[in-house]
Amino acid sequence: MRAIYLIARREYLSYVATWGFWLSLFSLPLFGLLGFGLPTLIESGQPTRYYVLIDESAAGRFDAAVQAEFDQGRQMRAREALRAAGRMVADEARIEAAVAALEARDGLDGLPDALRMLGLPADALPLDSLAGRYVRVAAPGAAAEDLRPYLMGEMTMSTPEGLQPLFAVVVIRPDGAGAAVDYWSANLTDDGLKNQVTRAVQAALRRDALLAEGVAAGALAAADALRPAVRELHPSREAAEADVRVEERLPLYMGIALAFMLWTVVFSVVNMLLTALIEEKGGKILEVLLASARYHEILTGKLLGVAAVSATLLLFWGGLGAVTLIGVQQFAQAADLPVADILGALFDPALLLPAAGYFVVGYLMFGSVFLAVGSLCETLQEAQTLMGPLLLIMMAPLFIVMTALNSLDSPFLAFASWVPFWTPFVMMARLPAGVPPAEIAATTALMLATMTAIIWAAAVVFRQGALGRADAGSVRKLLRFGRKAKG
Amino acid sequence: MPEIILSLKGVTKRYGGVPAVSELDMAVTRGSITGFLGPNGAGKTTSLRMALGILRPDAGQVRLFGRPPSARTLDRVGFLPEERGIYRKMTAEQVIAFFARLKGVGAAEAMKRARDRLARFGLEGAGRKKIRELSKGMAQKVQIIAAMAHEPEFIILDEPFSGLDPVNQQVLESLIRAEAESGKTILFSTHVMEHAERLCDRIVLIARGKKVFDGRVDEALAAAPRRVVIETPPGEDVEALLSRFGAVVRIPGAEGAGQAWQVDLAPGAGAQEVLKACVEAGVRLARFEPARPHLHDAFVRLVAEKQPELA
Repeated sequence: MRAIYLIARREYLSYVATWGFWLSLFSLPLFGLLGFGLPTLIESGQPTRYYVLIDESAAGRFDAAVQAEFDQGRQMRAREALRAAGRMVADEARIEAAVAALEARDGLDGLPDALRMLGLPADALPLDSLAGRYVRVAAPGAAAEDLRPYLMGEMTMSTPEGLQPLFAVVVIRPDGAGAAVDYWSANLTDDGLKNQVTRAVQAALRRDALLAEGVAAGALAAADALRPAVRELHPSREAAEADVRVEERLPLYMGIALAFMLWTVVFSVVNMLLTALIEEKGGKILEVLLASARYHEILTGKLLGVAAVSATLLLFWGGLGAVTLIGVQQFAQAADLPVADILGALFDPALLLPAAGYFVVGYLMFGSVFLAVGSLCETLQEAQTLMGPLLLIMMAPLFIVMTALNSLDSPFLAFASWVPFWTPFVMMARLPAGVPPAEIAATTALMLATMTAIIWAAAVVFRQGALGRADAGSVRKLLRFGRKAKG
Repeated sequence: MPEIILSLKGVTKRYGGVPAVSELDMAVTRGSITGFLGPNGAGKTTSLRMALGILRPDAGQVRLFGRPPSARTLDRVGFLPEERGIYRKMTAEQVIAFFARLKGVGAAEAMKRARDRLARFGLEGAGRKKIRELSKGMAQKVQIIAAMAHEPEFIILDEPFSGLDPVNQQVLESLIRAEAESGKTILFSTHVMEHAERLCDRIVLIARGKKVFDGRVDEALAAAPRRVVIETPPGEDVEALLSRFGAVVRIPGAEGAGQAWQVDLAPGAGAQEVLKACVEAGVRLARFEPARPHLHDAFVRLVAEKQPELA
């Protein structure tokens, strides 16, 4: 026990002193932040797109329709921002009154009144981002052909941001009963403006067609305003209580999140284990250790040391997640998060206990294999030649669990649960959706049996590899012999 | 009868069917310095690994302190392997304390010993430096200290002199003597016979995994051929005269200079008799030098006797 403790302690301290550990520690929160923040960052980082609209129809009817479409978009963004800001300073009734003031006028014209009703300064909301990133400017020429140099960046025109080239020129002209849109732009990837214009023109054509058929304008507006009331109900409950609540989905998301987290931790730490063992083997330290401790003590010590590293990572991430959630609730009431429910789901023993079990088994399986491989190699290059197939096996659950995001009942997921190397991750994702107890028991038994066999085999390989009586070349010879025997 | 610390009886180890060690018998008694000698690849390291229980013999029996090697018995042993390795990212103090703790020394005491031993070896300033910052020689010293910091009763050193410069070889020889004088039992392997000759009470000679000698150094030296080197002025031919006393080999010399012969004395022949015969025959001797037998010569002779296929 003494040797196991000392080896585990040394391993733990040596790992936490590495850059790799700190990178792993902060990588998950960083990726989380990037995951949440990147779309916003990309959105806010988009340049303002200046465009010209030329409507060749009589009375400019399409121009008005496009304007109305853009106004609706602006008003929708303003409504959401107003509600979010309002939650910090006002009750629900005042917020709704402010929203009504906003909607009482076109576009953002009602925004100053709405902000005043909430007691917020006039510049409380960023008008630039509410206005959207497509800004219409007056056409310096009458025909699209005249605007070509502006589109190609050869000429610029005056904008609120100074002299800028044009992003697009939209020409709308009548075409029989319908309309034709010529969309000119040198940017072939940003389709946002084209889509908005298309929607607006389509809506205008539809409206005109219905009016021509004698539908009253009021009836048309009333029909457009119709929205279905959708209820999501669970068949296991009586109708009055059958509504599916957000917190009911949390365990499902949490299961998948835990599966990803387990995979990330196992993959990070077994790589650390491999690198450190190769370093030790190359540095001829193993024989010195073997004169002080037995093989199983060294193996166990190393596995426990790295398990402690993993536990540190998980505790840090779990703690950081909980603190962030509480912080969000305390300091930014804007976020309507069911924090208590999320924490309840995160620390639910029905999820945490299997997660702990699956982590231990997954870690022992992959950790033992990586230790065995490490004992055979003196350089990382040698290890890489043996790691190829193992990496494929390790990467597979990541993609399999991704499919669980949309279809937890997929037969492929059920099949993958029976592959012992994948069981810890796939079952973790599936458990909250309800897996038959017999299937849980059988996959667990198969996984434990495989784990035992792997640890035994890894110990045998480690024994041979630690003193240089087997190496990467031995594995290649074995594989060649296998192929020869097969042939 | 001194206590036997280590005994190997009929120990055999094969790798892929090829014997690395064959039916080896040897014993190390308490308080002795035993040299385990043989050329590279003779099976010394394999034998020492079996002695420590790192390898299991295919046949035979190993007893360390009277019982099979175990974690408990290993705590009483200090081991310096042939292939030196040490944690390069740890400081010298940490490495020594870590290995001492693995052998059962308490944390505070292990650190105290690390500092004391480093000071004794003249490495006071190196204690807080990482091993990778030390020179190769200093790192080797740290490893030697680490092998002994738990004050073991029995010290096993596998090729301890390899890689050390002459000054540090001398330091290590002194250390081995000092440890032996304080009652420790020492077993070391080497392929450099001079160290064993100077240090050992007993030696075990091994070649191709088989023991060829086990006894005191003087007993081994008795097996070495005694030799006389004779030099005469040019023109003297003493080959016929000397051949009565053993094998004569002419030593090539410079043209026009004196001529020299080496006589490997046959059993029963002595240097005095050779000298007497030369004087009586009127040989003008420019040099007459009885050579002291060396362990190397004894080893060659013993291997030739026991394993003629290797000679």
